[in-house]
Parts: sequence; structure tokens; C-alpha cells
Amino acid sequence: MSAPTVTRRRPRAGKTLLSVLGLVLSLVWVFPVYWMVLSAVTPNARLTASTPSFLPVHFTLANFSSVLGDSGFGGALRMSLMITGVTLVLVLSFAFLGALAISRWRFRGRTSFVLAVLFIQMLPAEGLFIAQYKMLSTVGESAPVLGLNSVLGISILYTATLVPFTIWMLRGFVAGVPAELEEAGMVDGLSRTKAFLRITFPLLAPGLVASGVYAFLQAWNEFTTALVILPAEASQTLPVWLRSFLSASAARGIDWAEVMAASTLIAVPVIVFFMLVQGRMTSGLVAGAVKG
Amino acid sequence: MKRTRVVASGVATSLTLALALSACAPADEGGSGDSAGTPEAGDITLWLAGSDTNDDLRKYLVDTFAEENPGSTLTIEEQDWTDLVTKLTTALPDAANTPDVVEIGNTQAPTFTYAGAFREISPELYEELGGDKLLPSFVEAGSIDETKYALPYYYGSRYMFYRKDIWSKAGLEVPTTLAEFGDSVKKLKTDKRSGFAIGGQDWRNGISWVFANGGELAVKDGDQWTSTLSDPSTVKGLEQWQDVFEGASNLPPTQKDEAYWDFLNDGSEGEAPSGATIMAPAWARWSIGDLTKGDDGKEVRDGMADDSRFDIFALPGVDGGVAPVFAGGSNVAVSAKSQHPELSENLLRIIYSDEYQTMLAENGLGPANADFNKIMTVDAEGNPNKFGEVTVETAVASKLVPAAPGWAAVEGASVYEELFQKIAEGGDVTALAKEYDAKITPMLNGQAG
Amino acid sequence: MTTTTPAGPTAPTAQATASTPPSPIAIRRRRTPATPYLLLIPATLILLVGLGYPVYWQVVTSLQQFGMMQQFGAPPTFVGLDNYARIFTDDRLWAVVGRSIVFCLVNAFLTVAIGLGLALLMRAVHGAVRIVMQVVLLLAWATPLVAAVTVFRWLFDYRTGVVNWLLVQIGLEGYDGYAWLAQPLTFFFVATLVIVWMSVPFVAMSLYAGLTQVSEEVLEAARLDGARPGQILWHILLPLVRPVLAIVLLLQIIWDLRVFAQIRLLQDAGAPISETNLLGNFIYELGIGSQDFAGAAAVSIFVLLLTVLLAAPYVRSLMKEDAV
Repeated sequence: MSAPTVTRRRPRAGKTLLSVLGLVLSLVWVFPVYWMVLSAVTPNARLTASTPSFLPVHFTLANFSSVLGDSGFGGALRMSLMITGVTLVLVLSFAFLGALAISRWRFRGRTSFVLAVLFIQMLPAEGLFIAQYKMLSTVGESAPVLGLNSVLGISILYTATLVPFTIWMLRGFVAGVPAELEEAGMVDGLSRTKAFLRITFPLLAPGLVASGVYAFLQAWNEFTTALVILPAEASQTLPVWLRSFLSASAARGIDWAEVMAASTLIAVPVIVFFMLVQGRMTSGLVAGAVKG
Repeated sequence: MKRTRVVASGVATSLTLALALSACAPADEGGSGDSAGTPEAGDITLWLAGSDTNDDLRKYLVDTFAEENPGSTLTIEEQDWTDLVTKLTTALPDAANTPDVVEIGNTQAPTFTYAGAFREISPELYEELGGDKLLPSFVEAGSIDETKYALPYYYGSRYMFYRKDIWSKAGLEVPTTLAEFGDSVKKLKTDKRSGFAIGGQDWRNGISWVFANGGELAVKDGDQWTSTLSDPSTVKGLEQWQDVFEGASNLPPTQKDEAYWDFLNDGSEGEAPSGATIMAPAWARWSIGDLTKGDDGKEVRDGMADDSRFDIFALPGVDGGVAPVFAGGSNVAVSAKSQHPELSENLLRIIYSDEYQTMLAENGLGPANADFNKIMTVDAEGNPNKFGEVTVETAVASKLVPAAPGWAAVEGASVYEELFQKIAEGGDVTALAKEYDAKITPMLNGQAG
Repeated sequence: MTTTTPAGPTAPTAQATASTPPSPIAIRRRRTPATPYLLLIPATLILLVGLGYPVYWQVVTSLQQFGMMQQFGAPPTFVGLDNYARIFTDDRLWAVVGRSIVFCLVNAFLTVAIGLGLALLMRAVHGAVRIVMQVVLLLAWATPLVAAVTVFRWLFDYRTGVVNWLLVQIGLEGYDGYAWLAQPLTFFFVATLVIVWMSVPFVAMSLYAGLTQVSEEVLEAARLDGARPGQILWHILLPLVRPVLAIVLLLQIIWDLRVFAQIRLLQDAGAPISETNLLGNFIYELGIGSQDFAGAAAVSIFVLLLTVLLAAPYVRSLMKEDAV
């Protein structure tokens, strides 16, 4: 924790030393990811060798092709992308409005709302899904598009669980953009709406990205609800698919190479998403930190 | 919200009625369909658990169903064993989304049967599907008294796979009694090699020692189930298993019923195997042996082709013969909420047809109908098949866990895993048996009360 | 500074949204008290739709006898607080509660401490190293939960895991075939590794973002005034990131008390189950595992109250700060 202290005393040497430390820690942190990818490109028979190899000496793509050959993967990928996309849009728009309300206005019931929002996150989800199933199944009888196995139905459930946190996070960003900026814009002759859209909204974009990343990860990773609410094989999401892939493999003696290839494939879309938003995200986290 | 409740209570009433009338077909089906024999066309869904039913078998079911029921189709969905109970619990009570026919683990069948999840199989239909020729212990798991709800789908029994070369080198023969088996595998244990590779939590294999000693896990008296771990024969079996585990296995006491086959294989650089003996279901054979190139060019095991190094035997009984082992396998039932009960029963007719039973046996899955067991014992060319022979031999002697309504709760809470782990850790068997009897008895009766 | 950069590219998008009704209304009628309520409508609605009935069901079920028969349609009977009485007298519950609280606090503080350490380190290192560290953290963050747990299972596999192999290589022969998941203590060690590994990136990035807000001028001025590096850290850096630190810690506590999937997936590999269950797993096992849906509902409600209780003092101080 006293790391930076050294920096100042002997800037050059200290910085180098700390940089080395940073690299070593990076190596440690990245090792599980490296091991996952390495195992994914190694034949399974080699993985159980008594002396593991730390380099891809037996490189093969066979594991990937057998995973991609699994009938469920393509559909699960599509399903996961759609659910995550819809959830992201719903969460961000609803939470944005909510955050605006609680950070720009003082009104009766504000504190209760903020507290309610905070506490809703504390509900254990493991007890909820039977009721969620019953609910969606009933709704689905009259409106299949919102029922079981539907993208919209589960997205609404995800949105409900993610909106509280996102409001909580966005609130810091909204509060971080001073209302005075807007007022200054109005002095320059802009209407309030225009002032908001031209000045405040762009400043909030990074915040939306940063909160969106969280919502994206949650929706992408969620497992238990998806298992129950999407019972049809055709509407499996990736985590559910990976889990059944893993247990099918376990029944025959885990083929670690294939399982690692499958894990790698699931991580790829997230990494792509992160790369796309990376620049925005860092600045977004900065903006959020202004108010916190 | 209100709507949900109304629907739920409406469903509740009709189910209670259905149960009261000993589960006749739902009223809206307009009389039972056995008169005309041409049910309204529809699409039905079959849930299969795990991947044991291979693609050929599935294709046969789908094609034959479409052929015999013009205008109707069958969709097969594969469910994961680990989450099967979760999905059945939510989907089966839901008339709009229930699968029509489901495969369910034989140990899970009683709980759902008692809860009223399945449609009754009429005595006529039961006779038509095979009647008394169907594996009795599995039929019992899916019955309430004389009323049948879930029928056997397939069984798999467990036997011993061993490294013949290692056993011979140590001067050991195939054992003829359970005690001799224990002594032999203890002699074969080294630091690097388990004489008998078995996990501590692996009660499904472990209870064979209880059954072999004439012990029972639970007995039914009137409508009450009592856990009988403290019964002297049961304790004796558990102690014998404890002795074998401690003396012959290098696996952790927490290890579950895992894929043991790798223990028998040589390492990829020719290292000696880490186990001399394992207990596993018949199909484990295809994960054992030397590496060879499969049709698709992937490295696969050759299925124990080298019989000088790999072989099998049935777990011997206390006084010789074959020990009663735990029979794995599953049941199949029609959902009580199925919208197409006649079509679903037609699917059962296909499953219990001679053709399909033959196909099951040919694929190494123990057929529900005893008439087809003999197919298991010969290979495609009509030569004796030792794997099939031992499968049938052990299956005949096999036993099931108690068909108590709360058995799934016992499994769901991993109570037996915990008990066996504690025994494997060297706990006092008598004390543990007493403790767990007190814990298990109320669970067994939980759902009935 | 950094925040203004995206203004240009985002402006067109902002224009496009001009036609959507809520925001303009909101702004125009900023001083009318109705506006904040209108803005809260969508969020409130989605919460009611998504969680209203499930929570209502949970409460009602916890007051009924509700098992497998009831799930399959038998009418449930009202039993008042019997389920609560039953679970409160169950020793298992209290063991799980104690274990969960300890696990949660250890993980939350560890995550935040390591996250803070990495954030400070990122400030202090060369630019290239900082980018490497950021990419690595993003990779860990991006690894989906099921995949991450699976990798750790594989790393710690008692027969073929690379961790045991490495330990044996450095001379610790005792770790040959060592079963990490077999003992509760080592099981939780592995679980903590997974959770900390996965959670640190969010904490580190948030805190790093906070740290970059501290202007160089302030630090320079402090240095000129002869402040020692330790003092700068303690009196300037930490107070500035304190709000972020507080929120991140609160979130970690809430999340770590709800850990479920990581434990369940690790237990799949063979573990002493009842001794490694946390609250989420206990609820799941009670409900789906043992078909005691009423008991599971009662425990869920209890957990909710417990979390509120645990977080209350903390939340109060946060709210106070917020009001300023």
C-alpha cells in the first residue's frame, strides 16, 4: 500500500522496481487465462501428462472444432447475445432516468427509494426462480413473447435485478456533472433541453458505458435463472450450455481440453466487447469517481 | 398477480380431483382415447437425461413416432443430469410447458411419483408394455402400492474393471469372495497406485458392501419409512467398505462418484497406471485401453482391446457368487399435465416395442424388458460378449435405493455423500449410523406426511 | 479533463435522442415536483414487474407448508411462523450464517485491499506496464464465471492440476495428489482465490480512475511543502478516493454475501458439501434439493433482513455523506 512512497524518494529506480512488480503481478493475474487458452490448444491426452508443459508445444485446434461442432453452441451464442443486448438497453435507459431523478432533485420519498434500490440487491436469488417461473409461464399463455423461453421475458427479469445497482452507479456520474454547466449553456442562448443534450448527456456517455459493462457481464454470466426460465434446449444461453457440456464431459471423464476450449470461446465475445468500449470505460470510471 | 393465483388454484383443484379419481385423463381430453385409437394430432416433447440414449436410438424414436402417428411429431430435448430435478420441479406442474414424456433417474422417481407428477399407467397398458417382464425394482420405484406411474427405461449395473497385468504380477487371481477382494486390492496399493480406486463420497458404489452383507438402507413399515443404517448387517457392510477404502484407495474421502477409468490407463508418456481396479458402469469400457486413432482422426481409447492387460469381473458376494450391487438407470413416465396423453402413451408403446428394446440392449443399455437381456450377452457376430454377460449377471443380483417419497430429498441434500465421506475419514461407523438414521428417517417420510 | 474528450463523437447521438419524450419533459419542468416521480416510473415499474410477484410469493410461501405436493398443486396450508421457528432452531442455519459472514468479510476486504494496492501501483509504474496491467485485469474481468471456476478447478485438480505439480517441483512433496477441495479450509482458500481474482479488476479500475482525478499540481504543491510520500498517500490520495472506496466495499460485501454459483461449481468437483455451503447454497439445497420450498423461502427472507441489518450503519453514513 505504501507503494508510491518509493516513487518519490528515488523516482527512476523506484519506478523501475515498481514496474517490475507490476509485471510480475500481471503474470500471476493472467496465468489462469493463459492456462485456459493453453489447455484449449493442447490435445487432452497431453494435458494429463505427469510433466505439464507451459508452452503450446502440441498445438492443435481440434478442441475448438469439436466444441463448435456441438449442436448447441451456435444457438446458445445467439441467445446470449440477444438477451444481453436487450437487457443492456433496458437497464441503461431505465436506470439513467432513475439516476437523473435521484441526483438532480430532492423530493419526498427520495431517501426511501434510494434505500429500497440498495436493499433489493440483497435478495438472495436462489429462492426466487420458482416464482419467476410461475409468473412467466402464466404471462406466456396470453403473450408468448414475454413468456418462458423468450428473450424479452428473461431480459425483463435481468433488468429488474440490475436496475438497482445501475441507478446506484449512474447516480455518481450524473451528480458529477454540475448543473451549473447546463445553466452556463442556457446563458449562451440554448434551451434547457438543448443544454442538457449538448452539454450534460455527452458528459454522461462514459458513465453509461462503465455501468453498461457491469450489466453486460451480469447478463452474460447469469446461470440459475436462465436454467429455469429457458427450459427449451433451443433457448439455452452460453453459461447453461457450458455447464451441460462440462457435466456431459464429466460423465465420460472430463475432457479438460475441450472444456477449456469451450470456456475460451465464451470469453471471446466479452473480450471483444471490452476492447470496443475500453477507452470509454476508463474515462467513465474516472467520471464516476468524481462523485463516487 | 391476481391472475396467477387464480390459475394456480384452478390447477390445484383439477389436480386434486384427478388424484381423487385415481388420476384419470384430464377432463378436457374428452374421454380416454383407447376406443378410437386415433388421438388428435399434436407435437409432443420427450426429455431425455444425459447422453446415454445415443443419436441412433433418438432417430429411431422420432422417425417411428412420426410414422405411426401421422400428423404428429416428437421432439427430443436432452437435459443435464445435474439440473434435472430443478427443471422437472418447475416444468412438470406447468400444463402449458410440461414435457409430455420424461426420463428420470430411478432414485428420483419415487419423489415425483408421490407428488402426483405423473399420469397413471393403466393395468391394461402396463400389461401391453411388458407387464411383469419389466425390471421389478424399477417398476416399484415408480409405483404407489399397485398403481404404476413410472416404468423402467434402462439399467446399467456396475462391475469391476482391472489391470490384469498388475494383478497377475502380484500373483493374485480374480477373487471369489468379497473378503478376498478386499485383501487383494489392499495388497495392490502403493503410494503411487490405488489397489482399488474409489472416492470416499462414492456411496453409489459403496452401498454394494451393505447389500452384499444383507443390509438394507431403509425399510417400510405400514406407510412409514425408517432408515436402518444401524442394523447390524448394514453396519457390518459399512465397516467392511471403510476397511477397503482406507487400505486400498489413494483418493480423497471427498471424491465423488467420478470418472475412474483414467486410473486404469497408462500415462501419455507410458507412466504406470494410478489404479489397479475400479468399479464402473459397463460403458466405461470405451474410455479404457490404449490410445488409438478414431474414425475422425481423434485419439480415443481402444475399448480394452488388449485382454492380457485389461479385464473385468463381477464384484463377488460375501460367500461367493455375485454381490448385489447398486443398479443405476432410469425410469420413464408421462407427465400428469401432458396435453397429449394418448400420443404420449403411443410413445411408450414404441419405447417398449421389441425393436426398441433390442436396440437398447445392442447399445449396451440394460433393457427394461427381461426378455431382451440375452441380446446383451452376445456381440454382433453372435459370439459371447463378456461385458454383456457380466452386465446381466450383476443386474440380476442388483438392488435399488429405497423407493421412499423423500429419497430425492436425501440425495438432493447430499446426505449419503456426507455419511460415506465421514466413514472414509475413519469415523466410528456405529455412531455415524445412529446419527444419520436420526437425520434420514424424517427426510424419507417428508413428502408423504 | 478526460471526461470531456468523448463529447464530440457522442454529440450526434445526443441530437438523435432529442425526439424521445422523457428527457425534454424532465428538463423543461425541472422545478415541478412531479418530474422526478415521472422519471422514476420506468425503473419502479420494471422492479414491480420483475420482482414484485416473486417477492410476494416468497413471503406467502414462507408462511405456508409448501413442499413437493404443493408444488404439484395440492392446496398449501397456512402455518404462520412455523417455518421460521423451524429454521431458527436448525443448527445448520447458524453454522451457515456464521461461515457466510466470515467468508463475505474476508473476501470483501481482501478484494478491496488488493484492488487498492493495484490501483496505487498502476499510478506509479511506467506507461507501458500500466497498459499491460490494465489489459490483464480486463482479461480476468472478462472471463465468464463458469469458465473462471472451471479453470481454477482444473488448476487445483488433485491429480493433474498444475498447482500441485509446481508445489512438488519446489520440493513440497506432500502436495503430490493433495486434494484442495477436500477440507473446508482449503476449499474456501480456493474459493477465495477465484472470487478475489474475478472481483479485483472492478475494484482496481474504479479506484485507479478515482486516483487519476487527483491533480498533479496538488501533489506537487504537497511535495514542495515537504510532505513525505507516506503523508501524501494518507492525507491526500486516500481521502480523495474514500467515497469510491466506501461504495466499492459496500458493493463487495453485498455481493460476497450472495456468493452461490462459485461454491456450487466447486462442490461439483467433490467437497464436504454441508461444511462448505454458504447461504445461497443452503437456500438452493433446501428448496430444490430437499423440496422444502417453504423453509427455503423463510431463509431467503431472513437473509434479506440480515443483510439490511449488517449494512445499515454503513448505509446510514453513506446517506449522510450523500445528503451534504
